[in-house]
This record gives sequence, structure tokens and C-alpha cells, in this order.
Amino acid sequence: MQMRSWITPVAWVALLCALAALLPTMAPLFSWVEPGTDNLVYTRDSFWFLLQSHIWLVLVSATIGSLVAVSAGIFVTRPAGRDFLPLVSQIASIGQTVPPVAVLALAVPVMGFGEKPTFLALVLYGLLPILRNTLAGLGGINPTVLESAKGMGMSSAQVLFKVELPLAGRVILAGIRTSVTINIATAAIGSTIGARTLGDPVIAGLVNGNTAYVLQGAILIGLLALATDSLFEAIERAWGRAFSI
Amino acid sequence: MPVSTKPPTRVLPALALAAFACVWLLDLGVVQPNRIVSGTGYGLYAATGWFGAVVVSFLLAVVIVLATRLTPKRFGALILLLTTALMAQPLLLEVFALRKLPEDSAYARIGIGAGFWCLAFFLALMLLETLGRYKASRRLQFSVVLLVVVSWWFCASREGLSSLSLIREYANRADQFSQALTTHLSLSLGAVAISAVLAFGLALAMVRRERLRRPLLGLVSFMQTIPSLALFGLLIAPLGALSAAYPFLQTLGIRGIGWAPAMLALIAYSLLPMVRNTYVALMEVPEPVVDAGRGMGMNERQIFFKVKLPLALPVIIEGVRITTIQAIGLTAVAALIGAGGFGTFIFQGLGQAAMDLVLLGALPTVFLALAADAILSALKFQRAPR
Repeated sequence: MQMRSWITPVAWVALLCALAALLPTMAPLFSWVEPGTDNLVYTRDSFWFLLQSHIWLVLVSATIGSLVAVSAGIFVTRPAGRDFLPLVSQIASIGQTVPPVAVLALAVPVMGFGEKPTFLALVLYGLLPILRNTLAGLGGINPTVLESAKGMGMSSAQVLFKVELPLAGRVILAGIRTSVTINIATAAIGSTIGARTLGDPVIAGLVNGNTAYVLQGAILIGLLALATDSLFEAIERAWGRAFSI
Repeated sequence: MPVSTKPPTRVLPALALAAFACVWLLDLGVVQPNRIVSGTGYGLYAATGWFGAVVVSFLLAVVIVLATRLTPKRFGALILLLTTALMAQPLLLEVFALRKLPEDSAYARIGIGAGFWCLAFFLALMLLETLGRYKASRRLQFSVVLLVVVSWWFCASREGLSSLSLIREYANRADQFSQALTTHLSLSLGAVAISAVLAFGLALAMVRRERLRRPLLGLVSFMQTIPSLALFGLLIAPLGALSAAYPFLQTLGIRGIGWAPAMLALIAYSLLPMVRNTYVALMEVPEPVVDAGRGMGMNERQIFFKVKLPLALPVIIEGVRITTIQAIGLTAVAALIGAGGFGTFIFQGLGQAAMDLVLLGALPTVFLALAADAILSALKFQRAPR
């Protein structure tokens, strides 16, 4: 019964891996969209390598972003840091107004070209949805629940880890999901500033006017996003079952 | 101690110290011999001499002192001080240009350093924090932002900053800039307008027929999940094939690249926030209010236009706000498929490694998004039921 919610993400991941491995053998298919040329499949890097590099970039930045954002969210909701709460929540909401592509572009003058500026932009921009949801999740807990937890003799650390974080977890997870979705898209655009991601075939195709390259990159990016999204959906369900209220 | 005194806050001193550290440790400005070479950086003291260094440090110290005990009078003083500081900040660059720009070189220009941006960022944060703690009215907040924007605009148009590389890049392509502005606005606002009409229809259909809800919401959130670059890329082949098959489409400018795929993708992305908010807003109108309208003898049409729609409007406007901000950002990406707009400068600048051209594209994009946010938030609050 519970296994069923994992079928969809597994299917998406399988399709993604299969295509990443098999696209090079599908050249005849792409001769249909780009009849005039022999360069039907992007060969500068293997799709496998680009997929791995793309996932790695998003995974590392999401991990760092989540750690920083959740700790910041916890800090500003404790008595010691409550001073900073109004400012931090304003930064989280105003910051999300700035378009991710602008953050990406502005990272280049600071750090030069390559993986580093992309990474910086992903971490910085990815922080904001997680931070906002952490604040919403921790702030949305019924105060009487916290009072009764304290009344049971729990220390403030116990209240945080045994009551607050499990209760806020689903909202925080939803923030991480938003952040990762945005970052998969931003990492793809990171190709324009020298990161090695699945955006490479798309950009190369656009520059050389080769629609086959564009399609190959676009299909894999789209599948990666869909697979990740359905994975998060399954995790959110599992979390809901584990800490159902 | 008077009742109105707030407890001391550590936020302003922390921000002021951070600004102090940044402005002394990072370069305030850069002198570049030409457009591409990165040039030599100058710190605050080297760039503006002892006068600039003293003024900036003194200002930050005053903020820390004022923040130790916040009386209403001090709030006023802080807001005034920070607003003036932010308004006058471009003068630092003007002094820098006056002192350090070599006069004999026609191509020499000055660039803005990280220290300058950090100072502006922290001043803005301090202003935001002060306005928030003071519970400033929307009118005051709006006037402060307007003052700063107008002042920066005025400084940028002065002779003293004409050697700023950002302004040089602008001067070289003033025509392209206004064209990019028009394209950017018409693409993003056009997509928002079209998707608003579509979304309104879809939301109404969902309100009428409950079983449409799941498939429709599923479809629009599916489209939202696809990354922008992928969606733009996926639209090229079908649109290209379409325009090849029907040449009259080419005369309309509908091709695989250009505004047509950009517009389609922007509309697809705009649907989710718009549909969701409109649907939720219409569904959440309280039943007793609708009943009261019925009791007053209104027919269904009157109830919809005079009761439901006005009550739903703030949430619908919130949907428009999210959509507009998103569309402005995505339009910048659409420059990759030749749609024009400020993204053109960003990607051209990245291609030529000309960072100020990147700024010339990125800064207006950010500014447009923030402006759209401010305007639509104000509209939402104005429409909110009291």
C-alpha cells in the first residue's frame, strides 16, 4: 500500500536514466527535426556526465541552503534571536522578488565564470523559499502545544527537536521542494556562465541553430525536474504518514 | 523611562558594523583602462580621501548610537539620516571619479566596487528595519523609496558620473535600451494579461464543475514544474515546423525562435498562480455573505459581480503579483531564444565578458520586478476589505 506512492518517482527516474543513456543511439529520430546535418546528437560531453554534474550542483547547493536556512529560521524564532525576525522575514520575501537569472548574472562580476558563481547563486537564491517556509512552519504551531510540551518537563532543545521541527517539517519540506525546482531551472541557465549542466546542449543548439541539440537538452532537463518533483511528493506523503497529527 | 521607548535592538548595530567592515575591507570603486580589462580597485580611503572615509564612518557610528535607545524622536532622526545617506551615496563615486580617473585617456572609466554595493545593501536593510520597527505608514515607505530612486536617477544623469562604465554602456546603446524596455514590458505584461483572462475562465469552469478541478490544476502545475530553458527549447521545434508549413505565420513574426515561443511559455508559466489564486479566492467567499446578497434580492449575476468578485479581488491581485514578478524574470531568460528584452544585454555581456553590460541588463530587470511588486502590493492592500 505504502509502496505505491513511490512507483511514480521511480518510473520518472528510470525514464530519465534510460534516455540519458540511450539518446545517442536515437540519431535517426532527430534527423526528422534537423534534416540538413550529420551532427544529430550532442557529443561534446556525454549526457550522463551532464546529468550527474547538474544533479550534483543542485544537490550540494540544496543541502547547504537547507542547513543555513533552517538554522537561521530556528535562530530568529528563539528568544535570543527574535530581534532579527522582522528583518529576516522581510529579506526572505523581498529577496524572492529578484529574478533568479539576475542573481545568476550578478554572481559573475563577483566570482568570475564557471561552476562557482552558479553555485553561489543557487545557494543564495535557494535559501529564500526554505527560510520563508521555516518561519511559516515554526510560526504556525499552536502556542498551546508548545506550552503543554514545556509543561511535560521538556527542555527547550527537546521541544525544538521533538515537537516543533516534526510539526513544521512538512512546510519546511515544501519550501525545499520549491527551492530545488527553481534551482534545477537556474542551474540549466548556469550553462551560459560556464557551469556544466544539461543546459549545455540547449545553449550549444541555440548558438549553432541546431534544434536537435536543443531538444535533447530540453527533454532531459524537463524529465529531471519532473522526476525530482514526484520524488518530493512521495517524501512529503511519507513524512505526513510518519508524523500524522 | 517613557512608555513609548522600545527596548534596545541589536539589529541596527549589527547591520551598521557589517556595513562598516564591508566598506573598509572591500573595494569601493575600480578604475578600468578600457571596457574589458578588470582594472585596479580602490578602497574607501584611497578612493574618496579622508573626507569620504570620515563621513561614512561617522554616519555608521551615529546609527549605532541612535539605536541604543529608540525614542520616537530618534526613529525620525534615523529615518531621515538613512534616507539622506542612501540618496547621497552616488556622490562617493563622483568624488572617486574626480580624484582617480586619468584625464588623458579617452577609454578610461570607473566601475562600481563590491564595497559600494554592500554599503547600499546594508543602508537599505537598516532603513527597512527602522521603517518596520517604527511601523511606518505605506505612504512614508513609498515616499522614502521614491526619494532614493529619484536621487539616484538624478545623480546618474549628472556630468560627474558620465565616466561610470555602467553609464557609458548605457550611452552607447540608449536606443537599444529603450527598445529592450518596451519589448521586456510588452512581453511580460502581455503574457500576464492574456493568462489572466484565460485563468479567469478556467477558474470559473472549475467553480462550476468540481470534477474539472483536479485535471486542470494538475495540468497547470505540471507546466510550472518544467524548467524555463527546457520549455523554451521544447517550443522551438513545433513552432518552427508550424511556420515552415504555413508561410503566412512567418509574416506575423511567428517562428521557432523570437517572441512567439517566449509568449507561449510565459503564458503557460503564468497560469498556475493565476488559476490557483482566482479559484481559491472565489471559493472562499463566505456562504453567509452570498446568502445575504440573495436575501437582498440580487440575482446570480449581481451576486457574482457585486459580492463575490470584490471580496475575491485581493487574493486575485496577489496571483497577478506573483505572476508578474515571475514573468519579468522569465522574459530575461527568453532572450536566449531571441525574444529581446533586458536579457539580451545580460547574455551579450556574458558572451563578451563585459560585466557592465551584464549589469545594464540585470539591474533594470531587478528594478522592474521590485517595482511590479511594490505597485501590486499597494493595490492589494488598497483593495483589502476593511
